[in-house]
Amino acid sequence: MAVRVETVPRWYHGRFASWFVTVDHKRIGILYIATAGFFFLCAGVMALLMRTQLAQADMSVVEQDGYNQLFTVHGTMMVFLVVVPILAGFGNFLVPLMIGARDMAFPRLNAMSYWLYLFGGLVLLFSFFADQGAPQAGWTSYPPFSVYTDGPGQDLLILSLHILTVSSLAGAINFIVTIHNMRTRGMSWTRLPLFVWSIEVYAALLLLVLPALSAGLTLLLLDRQFDTGFFVPTDGGSPVLYQHVFWFFGHPEVYIMILPAMGIISEVIPVFARKPIFGYKAIAFSTVAIGFYSLLVWAHHMFTVGMPNFLNGFFMVSSMIIAVPTGVKIFNWLATLWRGNLHFDTAMLFSLGFLSTFTIGGLSGIFLAAFPIDWQVHDTYYVVAHFHYVLFGGSILAILAGLFYWWPKMFGRMLGERLGKWSFWFIFVGFNLTFFPQHMLGLLGMPRRVYTYREDGLWEGYNLASSIGSYVMGIGILLVVWNIWRSRKGRRAGNDPWLADTLEWFTTSPPPPHNFDRVPYVTSARPLYDLRRRLKERGAL
Amino acid sequence: MLLVLVLLVPAGAAVAANAGFAPVEPESPNAEAINDSYAWVAIFTGAIFLLVQGSLLWFIYRYRRGRRPRGEDGAQVHGNTNLELAWTIAPVLILVAIGSFVFYKLPDIKDIPSASAAGGEPVEVTVKGYRFYWQYTYPNGVIAMDRMRAPVDRNVSLAITAPEFDVIHSWWIPALGGKFDAIPGETNESWFRAERAGVYRGQCAEFCGIQHAVMTAEVEAVPGDEFDEWLESEAEAQEAGESDLGEQTYAAACAKCHGLAGQGDIGPPLAGSALAADPELAEEIVRNGRGEMPPIGQDWEERQMAALTEYLQEGLGSGG
Repeated sequence: MAVRVETVPRWYHGRFASWFVTVDHKRIGILYIATAGFFFLCAGVMALLMRTQLAQADMSVVEQDGYNQLFTVHGTMMVFLVVVPILAGFGNFLVPLMIGARDMAFPRLNAMSYWLYLFGGLVLLFSFFADQGAPQAGWTSYPPFSVYTDGPGQDLLILSLHILTVSSLAGAINFIVTIHNMRTRGMSWTRLPLFVWSIEVYAALLLLVLPALSAGLTLLLLDRQFDTGFFVPTDGGSPVLYQHVFWFFGHPEVYIMILPAMGIISEVIPVFARKPIFGYKAIAFSTVAIGFYSLLVWAHHMFTVGMPNFLNGFFMVSSMIIAVPTGVKIFNWLATLWRGNLHFDTAMLFSLGFLSTFTIGGLSGIFLAAFPIDWQVHDTYYVVAHFHYVLFGGSILAILAGLFYWWPKMFGRMLGERLGKWSFWFIFVGFNLTFFPQHMLGLLGMPRRVYTYREDGLWEGYNLASSIGSYVMGIGILLVVWNIWRSRKGRRAGNDPWLADTLEWFTTSPPPPHNFDRVPYVTSARPLYDLRRRLKERGAL
Repeated sequence: MLLVLVLLVPAGAAVAANAGFAPVEPESPNAEAINDSYAWVAIFTGAIFLLVQGSLLWFIYRYRRGRRPRGEDGAQVHGNTNLELAWTIAPVLILVAIGSFVFYKLPDIKDIPSASAAGGEPVEVTVKGYRFYWQYTYPNGVIAMDRMRAPVDRNVSLAITAPEFDVIHSWWIPALGGKFDAIPGETNESWFRAERAGVYRGQCAEFCGIQHAVMTAEVEAVPGDEFDEWLESEAEAQEAGESDLGEQTYAAACAKCHGLAGQGDIGPPLAGSALAADPELAEEIVRNGRGEMPPIGQDWEERQMAALTEYLQEGLGSGG
């Protein structure tokens, strides 16, 4: 085979320019994570503004429409610009390394995904500068309200999500092709790292449900711009139809955001318990099961629209079924701790925190799935508490665990452990102080998406506690940022600082552009554990 | 011991309910049945919570590294099929128990009691959600805004809807049962039977726009005869144009944006404005909206419009 040597201009190798032209999956992964980190800080500032407004009744830190813009962009940003892409970032960096590949299957497509993501994100962020401000119909954009809102904000949200959808679809195809075709010798489906399993299901779900979102948003855009009236009752349209289309995408999206986070947990816990994962096949299979059932539960977001009770009943049962594979995962992670040698490094602390908080979010989900109970708590702060327990207490804690765990591999330097532990405790305590009282607020009757509330002893007390908690959490996040800044001069990591099990730790930190000089034959789900054992048997270690 | 538990549980539940650990104290049979379901689910989820958090803490303590060397292997256990089966099947059984109980309680929550059952023939009220107020219509044509009057111990059936030109709202009085969306052009049914006289508060639960947060709703439960009397005299008063409908309408539909005294808020001041003095201009704006103001009263009856414009002329047109 003839080898074609491509020559590139010299400036391609510049210190900054190289990041703009890169097609290396590791650099693209890091770009994803850094960009998502930036949007995370933006969305966090919005959250703090909202909590400040709600610290007491009748505050006027922000105006009514300002508040509505804040929660709309906060939600949209956290879902589409933070959690989904940061997981794509981890996937990009890790999947080829974990399966012993040279790069993703389509490196250029990969770069395109990233740049579309960045520009799609900026469209949403800059919508604050549009005439009449950012979109303000909530991240769900329910019509007819979202059709009637003035100004281009809502149209910019739709444009942004269309761009992001193209980015995610290309990324998802790339992941699937890579995982199916580029596994190294011996890496069978039962030896695939559980994080890669979760990315496989993440990508499949994205492919299945994003088109529904695109369709719904396109119809919404037509309604806004050309009065097509698909969702507008005065034109014979149905607002409930939009909700079905949106949640057919929206609920699987929840699992798109949590499955790779669970994958991170499945990688971190065994390493710091010095054990193999308990029930590898059960965890891998439950990932697929959750992915499948997530397609059948969407209308549990719509129990109050007045569906017939046999439909409510169907969606209650299907939603409860998801609790089973989710429980299987939690019990297997607990069993992985059992008889382990638990090392409490920061990555492990965040993982254990995840186990605790995600369980709470899962259990409050059972209440929500029982539709008569949902008639009480739907659209209240109880729901806000619930989804922050699964998305922050779940996804974000897992992402932080992953950040501390893989940082040395990405940059060759360790993050500070002492500072890391402080940040964990600030975030964990602050998180629970912020969101636990919100369960009570919801049960006491406080609806979500309100810029103010009536004066009432308990409402004020819980809201104040929640606002204080959000600042504590904010300090924790700043400690993480400071830790990252300091890590430029952090301790050097070496190839495998955690004595971990998966292939990415076989190569140098950071890995060379071609990833591996050679890849060991994979004989189990823990190739590096096997390698260490063989070396020990030969007396070389 | 058992007796203490039996006494402690309801006492604890009562305290918890007031502090927000369970839905608010129910004052209607449907709300009560929802609370029963909540308690049933809480038993199982509470047990699972204790099991998971307890074993998590125990394992963290029991299997901590302590003085063991860094990196030393833990027990190399790969799994256990019986355990996997156990923690798959046990949750299934728990969910069957939860689901069955919910279906068992469902008729008490959803079905409006028949005329022969407790509470008798229901009083039918139409509940309409507008930006940003609630309008109630009684069978005899009486209109009320934001605060609904209802008889104690009698069934009240609700037809919850929103006018076609409006957006989605959600009707919810926590003590009187679950919420249902008020969807433009569609009607949802619900009911309640207030067990005590008093005022029950709630507010719109579906985000509906700039003043969603102040779209409050109240149900004032009064003794049955008092209610009947009020309904009859109110019908006559509204017919004759002598009721306080204009004031109610202003307070519910106008004041949230223009201020209770017409001093202006997110909307321009109305006190002393040309609009307040000119009924035709007022009707034109109320029916069609203007600028950012939605057409809040597009489908009002003439007498309600007249009541409002009269109130504007008298109360606000003369300078407040």
